[in-house]
Amino acid sequence: MKPNIFFRRTSGRTSGRASAHTLLAVGLAASLALTAAGCAKSEDDSGSSGDSKSGAAEGDAGQVAATPSAGADTCVIGDYGAEKLDLKSATVGFSQSEKEANPFRIAETASIKAEAAKRGVKLLTANAQSQFSKQISDVQDLIAKGADLLVIAPLNSDGWEPVLRQAKAKHIPIVTIDRKINAAPCKDYVSFIGSDFVEQGRRAADRMIEATGGKGEVAILLGAAGNNVTTDRTKGFEEQIKKKAPDLKVVFKQTGEFAREKGQQVTEQLIQSKPGIDGIYAENDEMGLGAVGALKGAGKKAGDVKIVTIDGTKNAVRGIVDGWIDGVIESNPRFGPLAFQTLDTFTKGGKVAQDIVIKDSAYTKDNAESDLGKAY
Amino acid sequence: MTDLSLGGRTRPDRDRVLRLLQDYGVHLGVAVLLLVNIAFTPHFLSAENFRTQAVQVAPVLIVALGMALAIGSEGVDLSVGSVMALSTSLLSLYLGYGMWIALLVAVLGGIAVGVANGALIAYIGVQPIVATLALMVAGRGLALVLLPQLKDVRDPTMASLGSGDLLGIPYLVLIAVALALLVAFVVRRTTFGRQLLAIGDSRPAARLAGLPVRRVLILVYVCSGALAAIAGVLATARLTASDPTSLGNLMELSAITAVVVGGTPLSGGRVRIGGTVAGAVLIQLLTATLIKHDLPPSWTQIAQAVVIILAVYAARERGRR
Repeated sequence: MKPNIFFRRTSGRTSGRASAHTLLAVGLAASLALTAAGCAKSEDDSGSSGDSKSGAAEGDAGQVAATPSAGADTCVIGDYGAEKLDLKSATVGFSQSEKEANPFRIAETASIKAEAAKRGVKLLTANAQSQFSKQISDVQDLIAKGADLLVIAPLNSDGWEPVLRQAKAKHIPIVTIDRKINAAPCKDYVSFIGSDFVEQGRRAADRMIEATGGKGEVAILLGAAGNNVTTDRTKGFEEQIKKKAPDLKVVFKQTGEFAREKGQQVTEQLIQSKPGIDGIYAENDEMGLGAVGALKGAGKKAGDVKIVTIDGTKNAVRGIVDGWIDGVIESNPRFGPLAFQTLDTFTKGGKVAQDIVIKDSAYTKDNAESDLGKAY
Repeated sequence: MTDLSLGGRTRPDRDRVLRLLQDYGVHLGVAVLLLVNIAFTPHFLSAENFRTQAVQVAPVLIVALGMALAIGSEGVDLSVGSVMALSTSLLSLYLGYGMWIALLVAVLGGIAVGVANGALIAYIGVQPIVATLALMVAGRGLALVLLPQLKDVRDPTMASLGSGDLLGIPYLVLIAVALALLVAFVVRRTTFGRQLLAIGDSRPAARLAGLPVRRVLILVYVCSGALAAIAGVLATARLTASDPTSLGNLMELSAITAVVVGGTPLSGGRVRIGGTVAGAVLIQLLTATLIKHDLPPSWTQIAQAVVIILAVYAARERGRR
């Protein structure tokens, strides 16, 4: 914004070659992008990592199924209408729903890739970039490329009929992870592996009751509207509070849209209109970290307001170590080992559960420091 | 903004009231919201609260200033949210050289997007809504290529830019006010400002009058891009993190709302900076009111829609004159 440009006399000249100028402009933007990547020098990350490239399965941090296979509905390969095969020589297709831009998706994809490499299985991957139509064509592509087995992290629950029909025709077993699809298990797909989001909400409530002593007022930072993760985590939390700690009141429920900035802004409003708030339940770590930022900005001290979050990212678990966060309920993204183990058992002709609910761990100040390496 | 009961008045009276409402309705709306909050919202009347509202509105206002210029030239800039994301990515990538260099690169990124927008519009003749839509999509994509996910910013100068103050006024607010004054000066007192309005009024007429239409249009979008990049830098400083996935999401809508509610007509030829400031404050207060009273989040969106419709209603009356 140089004043001499603004003050320049009008000249009446409007000539100039359109294409040349535009090329120059586009070239400028493109070269900027290239140099940006080329000579960039970001902050030193030593001693910490906002970017958790370490998302790959770390032995002890893999998932454990919580549902006992006995008694629950199971599935064997004959019922599904597929034929036995050796997983080692098979090709597995993996369709990821969202861009690997958040720690959960990064860790999830890394875990699938790591497990495939460990077992020596050929893996084809695709990412739908949060577009459902792309996910449908992604899966169709994977089938066309010769996938014998499919692991799908669905973006939506509905709208899978065309793909399921295609997979059925080719007798391809499907395992869905982290979200369910609305179809018949052991018929349209084999199993679903994932967390129980309502249970995560209940456990967050337990932590909140413990941290606040079961008395006082708490606020909820909701996730994005119209998302089943949001509804389930809210439902579990509110039911548990009502049941176990009637003296703990939920007095504030506003959306932070699963983003740190929004969480911070909403918390800033909250602590001004309700300065006596005792606890904040954030439905994901990012909003919880935003809340921490808001509390710091308002001059509060660590522990003044109890914060419980869900996910288990490194930054949040470090927040426990620092004393700002009181509990983090894990939502384990490392589906690789369990997904491949399920496929292995199934393709050998063994019984697998139709609903495999994973056991998520939790972080408190007792284990945050020692288990920081398990966070993603 | 609330008083529209004009039933039994005579025609000239009605016109005068409507004109006043168009010109000062947004200020009236801000005043009404302030009074309502002072009366009904606990702890509203405190320095900390006003500080929070001012700090939260600062990035939106800065983006809205650039948007006002674009709309004044009978265009629009949909790429502002993506420019914020791009600037936060660039900032994070270059912080190793120190804050000032990183800041410079981030703003240059915004300027580059502005040049691309302006060139598409001025030289190829692409409609502003389409050209900036293209850059909106490309900008967000580029931001995510440069920085695929949220990264913490640990630079202490950045942190103090985001949360520090001078004589009790946060830097963010000072910068926003300074930029608003600068843009108001540019619109009212400079040749560029006059040319911009002339082009917004009628591009063919401006061309026939011999104005450098293309150069002015490019400069308009360069200003808008630079301002959005500055807003992105400030938002990053406040969050002490670069989050290209969500920073600036739907910012173009907030900015357009602020400008339109502030009385700048979408048909171009007129820019009201004072009204834009009031428009941004109005939306901020509206959101704050609904959050503080814990009303369902969907209400915020509906309330914003009502405000937009009221503003457009006023603009319709203006067009009839």
